[in-house]
Amino acid sequence: MSETPYILIVDDDPDILENIITVLETQPFRLATARDGRRCMDLIEEEVPDLLILDLLMPRMDGWGVIRALRSEPRFAQLPIMILTTVIEDASRRRYELETGMAMDVQAYVQKPVKPDELIQRVYGLLAVEKNV
Amino acid sequence: MSDTDSPNARAEIIARRLGYSENFSALPWEDLLAIAAFCHEETVQTGAAVLVEGKPADRLYVVERGKLALEKRVQLGRHSTPRNATIDYVGPGRSAGFSTLVRPFVYSTSAIAVEPTRILVIDGQKLRQFLEDRPAAGLKVMQTLAALIGGRYRQAIDTLTYFLSIVSHELRSPLAAIENYLQVMLAGYAGEVTPKQERMIKRSILRVTDLRSQIGDVVDVARMRPEQIQADFCWFDLGEVGTQAIEDVRLAAAEKEVRIKVEPPPAFEPMVGAPRRLRQVFTNMLSNAIRYSPPGSTVTFRAWYDPDAVYLRVSDQGPGIPSDDLPHIFKDFYRAGNTGDVTGMGLGLSIAKKIVDAHHGEIAVENLMDDAGNTGTQFTVVIPRNLNTPEMERRKWQAETEGGATQNEQ
Repeated sequence: MSETPYILIVDDDPDILENIITVLETQPFRLATARDGRRCMDLIEEEVPDLLILDLLMPRMDGWGVIRALRSEPRFAQLPIMILTTVIEDASRRRYELETGMAMDVQAYVQKPVKPDELIQRVYGLLAVEKNV
Repeated sequence: MSDTDSPNARAEIIARRLGYSENFSALPWEDLLAIAAFCHEETVQTGAAVLVEGKPADRLYVVERGKLALEKRVQLGRHSTPRNATIDYVGPGRSAGFSTLVRPFVYSTSAIAVEPTRILVIDGQKLRQFLEDRPAAGLKVMQTLAALIGGRYRQAIDTLTYFLSIVSHELRSPLAAIENYLQVMLAGYAGEVTPKQERMIKRSILRVTDLRSQIGDVVDVARMRPEQIQADFCWFDLGEVGTQAIEDVRLAAAEKEVRIKVEPPPAFEPMVGAPRRLRQVFTNMLSNAIRYSPPGSTVTFRAWYDPDAVYLRVSDQGPGIPSDDLPHIFKDFYRAGNTGDVTGMGLGLSIAKKIVDAHHGEIAVENLMDDAGNTGTQFTVVIPRNLNTPEMERRKWQAETEGGATQNEQ
């Protein structure tokens, strides 16, 4: 992990992106955004982030597709993922399991909207876990 | 006179068309000919109503060419304008007006031609008489009919659930964005907030949260089949679920200066149920109580055990529910007459009842009035303590069938 944690935020809703950026840019992070799953995969190919904040329902490639692509690729298997979505957690996990036959391997599942302080806390939590490993 | 004009030839043509239709295809030729005797053909123009919901059902229709839309009248609440919702289309070979064969012989939907449509019209009374006189034919027709209606019912439910989940996501996404902006502003990330702005932002968050949970309610009504709830049964801590429910309504209570008094049992014991759903029940009961509570009053949340069940009771010091409304308050979209300015769609309690029913429990409501004239309402939920998780059900079933097998061997 480099000095400044690099966080990639993926959501098709520009307002949600602005909100997350407004909150996270108060912290010493390097931030990048993508509006769909394909762009997200391209950015990850360029540089592997220290944390991925991922929406589920998106055009082109959805969040479940991103998780599946990342988890089937050894280079990205360890990348921590925080789901940030309006989709209810059990419905979402059931859908992933039905489609892939595997449990959804993500480090945090947060239902929108998230309070700013909670977001910051969760991000630090996930970055710290990664550092210890 | 040509062949096709003779009555016999025409009956044969109609009989052949009946044979192609979904509900008569299983009948032998002589039955089709007999039914053809009381059929005639008609052409209806676009927009014409072939049958009307609520009217006596005395004709069954089979579409030959063209298309009918089945429409159902929908009215939300008691005062809104009724609207028609298209629930299905009926094309060639399919029928409309099944109610003609089923008591109380009243059409359950309307059917409107969406293009010029050629239909076979079957006299309902004569058809009923015919099927009574020929039980073999009657059985075949009714079996096909049951399968068709069952299929149409399942399709309607699936479509509704799917449609609602899409609508719900489409509605919740912008709300999440709005709520997010408000939270970010409230936390001061967009600059300093004056006390007045802070109050307004807090009110906005409360209203948006309310709206979001109402949208969730609409989707839930469609999803609340008992087997869907029972699939989530697991061991859980009731005390924890109760605490979460209180947490859900804390902001609303504080806003209205309503105090929540909690009277738990000496100890909570592990139990089986659907915790996320029960949290919804308690949150519903609590927010309902808070909504109708006068400012400064107290809402009491009590829980206690008897050997067979756990009891949960929420009581408020509000005006009570008009006695005319009491029998109806657990129905979908029902709102009592004295709700006034209180917002909501009247789904919370019907959802709560569906959840409690899936737990084989009971939910009851009572108005309170003491000698001093103090009013209030109390909701009591009873959940049995002998429920099984799906895994326990499976093992029980296995033990029973294996036990049965051994007995047979003896």
